[in-house]
Amino acid sequence: MKLKKIATGVYEVNIIDATDEELDEINNTMGLALSMDEMKKIRDFFRKMGRNPTDLEIHAIAQGWSEHCSYKSSKPILRKYIFGIPSEHAMIVMQDDAGVVELDDEYAYVFKIESHNHPSAVEPYGGAATGVGGIIRDVLNMGAKPIALVDPLFFGPPDYRGKLNKGIKHPLFLINGVISGIRDYGNRVGIPTVAGITYFHEDYVNNVLVNAGCLGVVKKDKIVRSAVDKAGVKLVMVGGRTGRDGIHGVNFASKILDEKSEEERQAVQLGNPILKEPLIHLVLEANELGIIHGMKDLGGGGLGSVVGEMCHAGGVGANVYLDRVLLKEGDMVPWEIWVSESQERMLLAIEDKNLPDLEKLCKKWDIEMSVIGETIEQKNLRIFWHGNKILDMPLEFITAGVEYERDYTVRRVQEMQEIPPEPNYRRVFLKLLSTYNIASKEWVIRQYDHEVQGRTVIKPMHGIVGYESHGDAAVLKPLHDSWKGIAITTVSNPHISKLNPYLGALYTVDEAVRNLVAVGAMPSSMSDGLNFGNPERPEIMGEFVETCRGLGDAARTLGIPYVSGNVSFYNEAFGKNIPPTPVLMAVGIIDDIRNAITSDFKKEGNHIYLIGKTTGEMGGSEYYSLLNASSTIVPNVNIEKTKLLSEQLHSAISKGLVESCHDISHGGLGVTLAEMSIGGNLGAEIDLKNMEHFRPDIKLFSESPTRWVCEVKPENTGKFESLVDGKSIGVVDGDRLRVKDGERWLFNVNVDNMRDIWKGSLKKYLR
Amino acid sequence: MRVAILQMEGTNCEEESYIAFKETGANPEYLHINNLTEGMLESYDMIFIPGGFSSGDYIRAGAVFAARLKAKVWKDIVDFVESGKPVMGVCNGFQVLIELGLLPGTEGISEVPQAALMTNNSNRFECRWVHLEKINDTMFSRDVPNKIMLPVAHAEGKFFATQNIIKKIEDNGQVVFRYISPDGTEPEYPWNPNGSINNIAAIVNSYGNVFGIMPHPERAYFPFQHPDWTRNPRNIGDGYYIFRSLFKQINEAKSR
Repeated sequence: MKLKKIATGVYEVNIIDATDEELDEINNTMGLALSMDEMKKIRDFFRKMGRNPTDLEIHAIAQGWSEHCSYKSSKPILRKYIFGIPSEHAMIVMQDDAGVVELDDEYAYVFKIESHNHPSAVEPYGGAATGVGGIIRDVLNMGAKPIALVDPLFFGPPDYRGKLNKGIKHPLFLINGVISGIRDYGNRVGIPTVAGITYFHEDYVNNVLVNAGCLGVVKKDKIVRSAVDKAGVKLVMVGGRTGRDGIHGVNFASKILDEKSEEERQAVQLGNPILKEPLIHLVLEANELGIIHGMKDLGGGGLGSVVGEMCHAGGVGANVYLDRVLLKEGDMVPWEIWVSESQERMLLAIEDKNLPDLEKLCKKWDIEMSVIGETIEQKNLRIFWHGNKILDMPLEFITAGVEYERDYTVRRVQEMQEIPPEPNYRRVFLKLLSTYNIASKEWVIRQYDHEVQGRTVIKPMHGIVGYESHGDAAVLKPLHDSWKGIAITTVSNPHISKLNPYLGALYTVDEAVRNLVAVGAMPSSMSDGLNFGNPERPEIMGEFVETCRGLGDAARTLGIPYVSGNVSFYNEAFGKNIPPTPVLMAVGIIDDIRNAITSDFKKEGNHIYLIGKTTGEMGGSEYYSLLNASSTIVPNVNIEKTKLLSEQLHSAISKGLVESCHDISHGGLGVTLAEMSIGGNLGAEIDLKNMEHFRPDIKLFSESPTRWVCEVKPENTGKFESLVDGKSIGVVDGDRLRVKDGERWLFNVNVDNMRDIWKGSLKKYLR
Repeated sequence: MRVAILQMEGTNCEEESYIAFKETGANPEYLHINNLTEGMLESYDMIFIPGGFSSGDYIRAGAVFAARLKAKVWKDIVDFVESGKPVMGVCNGFQVLIELGLLPGTEGISEVPQAALMTNNSNRFECRWVHLEKINDTMFSRDVPNKIMLPVAHAEGKFFATQNIIKKIEDNGQVVFRYISPDGTEPEYPWNPNGSINNIAAIVNSYGNVFGIMPHPERAYFPFQHPDWTRNPRNIGDGYYIFRSLFKQINEAKSR
């Protein structure tokens, strides 16, 4: 690699004359994580320009072209399936850092889910914390006030005793680190964490997944775009200083993990919630004054990505003076400043006349700001360093990036389903309640402040205080003077996606709808967090394509758009790839929060209904996994039926005819009934005889989709039955859950007993 | 009734507190500590220190907020307290009042903190609802029913002091709310969520005008903020009564 020094900390790299081996050397030495084809493309570009690039120019291109920034493998597929689902209410879809959807005449809600997987694998506490910090900025930079956080997490089992590859940390260490990281950041910054997933499976031992979502609200006329559309506007950095933390984070995220990943700790940023908290105030107050022309947060790719994308989106260029960036470490060189992903930084486009107002606000909130450049008419990016021009390239070349139509193969699994011997019902039912993916997650949920801001009207746990059980979704009342509510849920079903990515995607959309309808909301929009393995492997790319096809088919039929999203590839380590893990953050609207309902049984004597058809595909079910029985047949979803039944049920709930409702998912009907009993501290007498004809264990533990359990007062049963297609299966009664199938009693368990087992299972891992 | 809601980096319950005062009929104002100057507090009828994580609570919770107040306007705060006007701190605000020496204030204002809000027995942050019993009528509790529910959300809320101080607090009638269990038995965890001595959840100083409370009344102002409103309908949230008591008291004092 031949270098020539041209200014302090800036070198010219001889790429024009580089051989292919030298290109490879440049790629590795500079940590670019680009392919040979991409390196050649850069060489061709500069040959055409007739000059060699500076090291900064090469870094800027590598950043812009990274998978993380450019979506080069996923874009063609996303365009085909995920983008462009028509919606009346969506306002900004898949354009800026978060999606924007109409809430009412005056307000919109803004949200997105994102992954922070690689950093959390290396440094769980810091990685998870900055994952939260980053997603908050994505919502904030639309001008919205962040009001809710969600956090779907995927770990290896806490009691994992298998081999750990070099550099891979034990799941228990990761669990505690990640959860404390989210807790300490989210709680300090004062945004409630209202929903999430804590999923355990050996598939995630090598690749922990940490996803984080945020939702905010904004007045429609105060929405800020991440674009500058005229020349002469000042570019102002506010918030944290720029340091060496988080250098090459996006390149790191676009590689597979290996034993050397630990050495990339520098790629993990350091978060500071106590800088973020006033920064939120500052940005919202500046926005209220109407002085922000455009805004974008500094996340993956740092200053490089932000300046480029903001100007490119508005059709202008920029002059940037890197020596004006405020630094944590004085000896940083230009390329480091340009790609650093230090946290708590925002780039604001401000017109000259408004700078004094911004200065005043910065003083009040004790926040540093620096004018680092301005927009220009020529669509070039030019960077200066103590008077020297050290970068001058067309923005188009850096930000438009590359796209790949990667090869893919769709794996077909041979369909088979074992019929295990009939179990002891009581024993298997109680055992299911203690499996990690069903057991109480209260110890996680309560470490997060889900009440701050006072908007959480349906909490993440439902039921009598002290006896609460899991709910399907949380409901927020975002506006002080309106009864309108926003319901939020997160869903993912990797156990089904692993066997059949297409059906897994349908099932996941179905569950999102189930959860929102169960609290009385109508689904409005979704954000997709797509976590996959290495896309350079055709079978992984096949999983991605099939998942997107499923997500697209389901959402299109339902008329629910994806308004924002994130793709995380390269979740591979030591030859092991994660199963396809599409995570949805779904948002529903409830016109009057006073009509919202919870999942806990309310009163003895009330009737219990089962809504939806039970089927016998047991692939991916918790029951089969517990028995070690094999099945590759997963439930199909009739999305038309999802639409019909969810509308029926929503109408009954809105009319006040339903006392409690819970969807049927992990562990089937049995577990749903148990959770409703636990939360209400009430038993029930259940008869399965009216259900489809199956052996009782299938009736009890099938996870077939589009099903709910509803509790209805005796005086409302007539009205309920006229609206909803459901079967009566029993009554709320006593302090025991008693289940029979016709004449045959299956089990009879005390509610306290169920609760102790359900709550006790994960408790011992609590630190 | 003008209420100064003090703010600094990391306070994060100011908005719901503002709404609670506003709904009660008071005139709350946000007052950032950076904009606070000598003589400014005098014009207010009440000082309110909201919850949150002032300055991150990376050292003892509330210590930095207290140190900054002491450095900037300590004399004004002493005058404010001595004049009998109310000062209230919730959660992190309670921690600040203890660090300032305004609470427990068994014999007026103390030079050094006389008590502490220590790390919870569970050794972690917890967000949950608790049952409380009113122990004494004060200007902050006069209109509050005997038993109420409020949410707690803290990692450092275990009220602790020497036996001598605890005895004085009890003898002076300074305990305003205690944690109780729903069935009336001794409140074990989680009913006493943090291990507070004598199940103390809220106290007032010996003058009766400085009030600190760990649970959050501002998060329980409206009925639908309660966790059980879908099963126990109510007309108003339990936190309302604390704001109501205050408002009535101050207005009566002003009209006299």
